[in-house]
Amino acid sequence: MVNVLVRSLSTVMGLVGTSFLLPVFVAYWYGEWRALTAFVVPMAASWLLAGFFWLRRRGKLRVGGVENAFVIVGSVWIVVSLFGAIPLYACGAFSGFIDALFESVSGFTTTGASVLSDVESLPHCINFWRCQTHWLGGMGVIALAVALIPILGVGGYRLVQAETSGPEKGKLTARISDTAKILWTIYVVLTLIQTCLLHFAGMGWFDAVCHAFSTLGTGGFSTRNASLASFANPAVEWICTAFMLLASVNFGLYYLLVLGKWSEIRDNTELRGFVLVVLAAIGGATVLEASSWATVSDTARAVAFQVASVISTTGFMSQDYLTWKPASQLIVLSLFLIGGCSGSTAGGIKVIRWSVLSKQLRNDILRLLHPHGVFTLRINGIPGKGEVSSFVASFIFVYFALVFVTAFIGACSGLDLFTAFTASLSMVGNVGPAFGSLGPTANYGGLSPALKLWYCFAMLAGRLEVYTLLILVGSSLRRKNDA
Amino acid sequence: MRTIVIGAGFTGVQLARKLLANHHRVVLIDSDAERVRDVGSQLDCAVVHSQGNSLEVLEKAGIASADALVAVAQSDEVNMIACSLADAVYPKVLKIARVRNHVYCNDVDHAARNYAEAFSGTRRPPFGIDRLINPDFEVAAAISRAIVHGAVGGVVELGQGYGIVTVTLGAKSPLNGTPLWRLSSVPGWHFLVAHVETAAGAVLPGGETVLSPGDRLGVLAKEDELSAVAALCDAGPFSTGNGRMAIVGAGSVGSVLVAQHLAGAWADERIPKAARRFEVAVVDESVSRCRAMVERFREVRVFCGDATDETLVREEGLDHFDVVVAASENYERNLVTAAYLKSAGVKKAIALTATSSVARMAMRLGVDVAVPLRGTVVDSIMSHLRGHNVKSVHTVCNGAFEIVECQVAKGSKSVGKALRDVGLPAGAGLVLLLHGADGVSCVPRGDTVMAEGSTVVLIVAAGNNDAVRMVAG
Repeated sequence: MVNVLVRSLSTVMGLVGTSFLLPVFVAYWYGEWRALTAFVVPMAASWLLAGFFWLRRRGKLRVGGVENAFVIVGSVWIVVSLFGAIPLYACGAFSGFIDALFESVSGFTTTGASVLSDVESLPHCINFWRCQTHWLGGMGVIALAVALIPILGVGGYRLVQAETSGPEKGKLTARISDTAKILWTIYVVLTLIQTCLLHFAGMGWFDAVCHAFSTLGTGGFSTRNASLASFANPAVEWICTAFMLLASVNFGLYYLLVLGKWSEIRDNTELRGFVLVVLAAIGGATVLEASSWATVSDTARAVAFQVASVISTTGFMSQDYLTWKPASQLIVLSLFLIGGCSGSTAGGIKVIRWSVLSKQLRNDILRLLHPHGVFTLRINGIPGKGEVSSFVASFIFVYFALVFVTAFIGACSGLDLFTAFTASLSMVGNVGPAFGSLGPTANYGGLSPALKLWYCFAMLAGRLEVYTLLILVGSSLRRKNDA
Repeated sequence: MRTIVIGAGFTGVQLARKLLANHHRVVLIDSDAERVRDVGSQLDCAVVHSQGNSLEVLEKAGIASADALVAVAQSDEVNMIACSLADAVYPKVLKIARVRNHVYCNDVDHAARNYAEAFSGTRRPPFGIDRLINPDFEVAAAISRAIVHGAVGGVVELGQGYGIVTVTLGAKSPLNGTPLWRLSSVPGWHFLVAHVETAAGAVLPGGETVLSPGDRLGVLAKEDELSAVAALCDAGPFSTGNGRMAIVGAGSVGSVLVAQHLAGAWADERIPKAARRFEVAVVDESVSRCRAMVERFREVRVFCGDATDETLVREEGLDHFDVVVAASENYERNLVTAAYLKSAGVKKAIALTATSSVARMAMRLGVDVAVPLRGTVVDSIMSHLRGHNVKSVHTVCNGAFEIVECQVAKGSKSVGKALRDVGLPAGAGLVLLLHGADGVSCVPRGDTVMAEGSTVVLIVAAGNNDAVRMVAG
């Protein structure tokens, strides 16, 4: 087990280390020599480590039991977050390693909560890396590793499953490495399209790439202090709105789109629910906010952007929603609870879980009305999914348990009640901004180090849908007791 | 015609009996020695004791000179292999097989629909089966026909909008006590009575026939006039759909019925689809069947329990349904269920029964329509075995009469004569000129001339094929 764990950790680290080549190139381009070394040294170290373990024992990596898969995935995410914090810390922009770690975890989990108040003074390569962590973490570092590195092929299915979100994890293709390749290809293509669109809408190439990474990963880091508001460009806002929504749809659906399976897309329960929620939220908030804006199109743009930003758990900002009417703020807050679709890069509880629960509710009411009736729960038109609803119910229980524990810890470290609660929702849901004193214009820099560490745990737990980290913790505790 | 029938079970024997009555030469094949002896003494035909799925046996039975091969043995596989074997050597022989397994039927259906080109022209259909008969599909279709026409009775559709509908004469009908020749004096009545079933038995009516309450009439009418017929006969409310239907029994017939209903297979173009849609509920005692039903059909409400259980009937409001179809595999139970629910207040009750004799009994219990399983299967096989000029055959009055749609043959003695000069034999009548030489359909009169190639509808006593042969050659 330890051998498998070490080998998979070193492999993924080697891969993430290799991805440092991009910020290294950016640093070289802008002549940021000090930051360049902050990337080159850990990159070389990761290569040495991966090379050493690869030479020591070659051949396919066998994951073994199901529990191992959860342990490996949990460990990989923790180690990768630590590793990603090294260049941030080494470049000197962060006041301590915990701040750098918070930023790195916030990046990989696509939360997008920053400890910095001034990101514009950062070196270009550091900003690039911050957005790149969103992009890597969005689709999943393990999925990327399985797609690119053949030795992870055996048992990789379990690994990717433990990393992917959603209650029901389908297979697009017979082999998981093919599935991972397809998903990553779709991801890369969407990123390229958005980069080009942003550039043509008036952004520079650097900002366009960073924001495309940030949008597709549904992260929320920006290269500007005022996030997207600083561009004051309606076209950019519309493009980001569209791509935030696209990124919070199950990427498997794009594969179905490529295959031309329209009916399966149409029958997708989650997509229907997602479209319904998005339209309802945009419509409702537009009506509520209409009086405070000059034109309806301005209102619609601002509202659509904010709705997309929150439901996709991105956390970009074009407007400070704390200045909105309380009713529209409540609509935004309710989106914190919903989240994007399963199998997307978005976080949160996921639309499918709410769809399942609402269908279960309908069946329960029908059962009251028709004591002899027989009912079934359909997901994507497929019947007999009744047992999914109990998984979903227990997930939501665990999710809210984590939210309340996190809120409690936040309240203990001096946050006010509303801020503590919404920040907790924001961390576990990987959104980014919260309400109260941690609103979209504020940052997380002033929190106590202990709270930052706990938030790191909450973000990772939220990204891996709670169970993976629960099993990791449980498994290591048991090992300790056995030893 | 020469016909070989594989399987001397109930269906095989019934079929042979009808074929013999129609002057076919029949060879029966069965693998059960006792059955062979038994049937051999009953029927005037050769009965061979052997397995049907052997080419050698089929050749001995005379497949080389036969016109048709009908495989109705117990086993689907025997039927299919017999047809397949015979087809490989004698592709010209018409092959009809009874196949109970829905999967096989769907396969053949799928192939015929999706690879139409591959199975057209000289290429033979899958397994060499020209007509595949599935009892569940045939019975469900018969039930559907009865429901579509308001469950007034069995409806025989004749094309061109005509149909013969069976209605029970109510006590308040103005037709009561009127001899048929004076019926045209009843306001609003301009229909032809094709057959009458009284307590004494079924007759082809003459001008002197007097109608009385409780008689079941077969009335020829256009489909849009059916409700007028029902009103004049005081046959009770006539619903044209848009009501609620409960199907008791989630077995094979029940699920085919639901599938047919939901697919709109019986939808009539002239009435808006939405208006004729029934809200369908299914009742079955088996939990697993109920689950399978609800998983297969999302629009259907499924209740698990006994349909004759008073609590269930009250709680789910089964007694307020418009139509109840008892279509479980337990045919005796179907009678009880349909009769019980009818007495509980359901507007129309339909029961699936095993045979025609039980169907008669069902009517006496108050069941509105009884569809006999075996009779329906035999009918549908017979309709394929009447020669080229016979388009379709339907049995009415529980098997007493047959309604035959046929084309006037080229060399027929009747061509060019007026109807009164044709001299149809006793126990036969011409009901409708469906597609005359001038392309118009009409109810024939004495001076209607029989033109070659026109389509006519005859009603004949069951087994009496003389009239049909006189017209259709």
